[in-house]
Amino acid sequence: MECQPIIEVKDLYVNFYTYAGIVKAIDGVSFKICRGETYCLVGETGCGKSVTARSLTRLVPPPGRIEKGVILYYPEPGGKPINIMELSEEELRKIRGSEISYVFQDPNTSLDPLYTIGYQIAETMHAHGTVASIKEGIRKAVHILKMVLMPDPETRVKNYPHELSGGMKQRAVIGTSLSNNPKLLIADEPTTALDATVQDQIMDLLRKLRRDRNLTILLITHNMGLVAEMCDRVAVMYAGRIVEEADVYELFNNPLHPYTKALLRAVPNPLKRVEKLESIPGTVPNLIYPPPGCRFHPRCPMVMEICREKRPPEINVKPGHRVACWLYAEKRGE
Amino acid sequence: MEMAEEVYEKKILDKISDKVIDGIAWLMDKVRKGWKRRNKARIDEWKLMAYAFNRSPPGLIGFTLILIFLALAVIGPYIAPFSYDLPLTAFDSTAKLAPPGKVVTIKPGQLAEFLHVKPGNYTLLLGSDDYGRDLYSRILYGARVSLVVAILIMIVGPWIGIAIGLVAGYYGGKVDEALMRFTDIFLAFPGLILAIAFSAVFPDRIREFLAANPAVRDFLLALFALKPQHAGAMASLISVVVALWLVWWPGYARLTRGLVLSARENVYVEAARALGVPTRWILLRHIFPNILGPILVYLTLDFGGVILTEAGLSFLGLGAVPPIADWGRIINDGSAYFPNAWWLIFYPGLMILLTVLGFNLIGDTLRDVLDPKTRRSIEFKIKKKASGGK
Repeated sequence: MECQPIIEVKDLYVNFYTYAGIVKAIDGVSFKICRGETYCLVGETGCGKSVTARSLTRLVPPPGRIEKGVILYYPEPGGKPINIMELSEEELRKIRGSEISYVFQDPNTSLDPLYTIGYQIAETMHAHGTVASIKEGIRKAVHILKMVLMPDPETRVKNYPHELSGGMKQRAVIGTSLSNNPKLLIADEPTTALDATVQDQIMDLLRKLRRDRNLTILLITHNMGLVAEMCDRVAVMYAGRIVEEADVYELFNNPLHPYTKALLRAVPNPLKRVEKLESIPGTVPNLIYPPPGCRFHPRCPMVMEICREKRPPEINVKPGHRVACWLYAEKRGE
Repeated sequence: MEMAEEVYEKKILDKISDKVIDGIAWLMDKVRKGWKRRNKARIDEWKLMAYAFNRSPPGLIGFTLILIFLALAVIGPYIAPFSYDLPLTAFDSTAKLAPPGKVVTIKPGQLAEFLHVKPGNYTLLLGSDDYGRDLYSRILYGARVSLVVAILIMIVGPWIGIAIGLVAGYYGGKVDEALMRFTDIFLAFPGLILAIAFSAVFPDRIREFLAANPAVRDFLLALFALKPQHAGAMASLISVVVALWLVWWPGYARLTRGLVLSARENVYVEAARALGVPTRWILLRHIFPNILGPILVYLTLDFGGVILTEAGLSFLGLGAVPPIADWGRIINDGSAYFPNAWWLIFYPGLMILLTVLGFNLIGDTLRDVLDPKTRRSIEFKIKKKASGGK
């Protein structure tokens, strides 16, 4: 399967300038998402998943700043890419929501309590000129709510967020995000705030939408079960770096990085029988003074001298499987 | 509405407020079809707010005071027995500095006709001043002046600050620094002193402007209920309004900025940005309406402050010039005859006191009523009483 990239991130660095010091939140992240696939970013809380996702349309909140990096967006398959880093705020605004769209974690807070959901869907369409007026948008919102399988869309379109359940709210949020037919949907932990049964419904919905509308999805999660169920390719992040990237079957069958291995031992593995769940000793490092060399070395069971000094290179073990770890550099005789 | 009826024990006031709110809803429904059905939740919310308000004695006192003030300001000039500049000494030489209760007789004749006064016996309820002008009439006219000045200031001044606060709070960083330091500069000077400086400079410009725009002049004269020959005197009153526009915003800029700083952290603001909603819409549709409550309370509380400041400026000799009847001005003119003619200071002072007190009480209660947390606690108290009584 040939990869036609929709977005490509090269060597991204993001710093947060806090009073305590400079937090090096994203430290040299590169990846590529292919058209039509579901790409997953997994990792612990605070490892930079959300910041990476927000960086894709330069939505990093202050005091954060993108220091360095290239973000290429390909509007047409095989066409000329746009460098997101060079766009003006107004050009970016036109891309946000109509080309690249977001679904955030908590549907309870991502809808404005003062407006009906129909209005909020209509506003997004009106902002991108998809509809001429809010009124027309509200009429169209009924179809969008139908598309996201909202029960009784004619009534719901006039409802305020507090009148809906969590699952319905998340459907409304997804509807809002998809109202302008975006090509890339970034779902930032879309089910973390929902019940398990509703989680499943929302994931079914995302799968259906992806199939029906040829969407590309970037899914951010810390739920390994979801990864196994939803994703085509997975990138594991640790402390602001991608430590391993592979196809989902490859990752679950043959994890290489010690962090990925530890992570898979810490959750029930859908592909293997696991006797006992283990936790990873130690804590996530303070990113104001990150550990030198490999950022995982203080917690790594297989730590070597070189890990403490030099940043590990990214090694392509197999086509489509890369890992940033000294263990594999040595095996190849480097 | 059904829930409210079941749970709360209603008093007469609640029934009245229900009627008023239903009336407003009925009117809105007439203007825009289907409004009532769409905004059912809002109507219920308003009713609950009214119940909470009805249970606050200070709020009710303030409400009554403000109602009286508004009534006086609107109809005062029509019910006043004399015009604000009519010297009664022309009819009765003893009318000068007459104490409250003095009876003045106006004989029929050319003079009465010329001054448009009906002949007869008049009791001067609150006495008269050194020109023999009826204090009661002047206070009624003064209510109109105070109200119009306060409204004119409030429809411009605070909004400058709100706009600055919105922009500063939303953009943050250097924009915020620049705008807030500019605000600090204005805050560093006492507003009253700055207003004095401004209002000393403006009157000539405003006089020219009014002469060049007769339509504006006539409109303002009608608003203030002044005679056309006093347009020149009105210019200095307007200059106080303009001066207060320029000094009345820093507090609002600070308040709004603070509110925006917390409101913009809401995920729905970030979501709107992520979906490409233009900044202007985010500010006006998603941030401003969500911070309106505290601003509304501050505006109400401030209404009294504006009236007080304007009276203060008039007292200092800026603003209203004779013969315009302004409460501050009446006190200033009367101070020369204090304490013998005590009524010249006591009654206008009392009016200022009651009006400012009314706005403060109402603002204080509104803060409790508009804040859902405190309102809930009031509602729970009502519920408890209602269930306990059964």
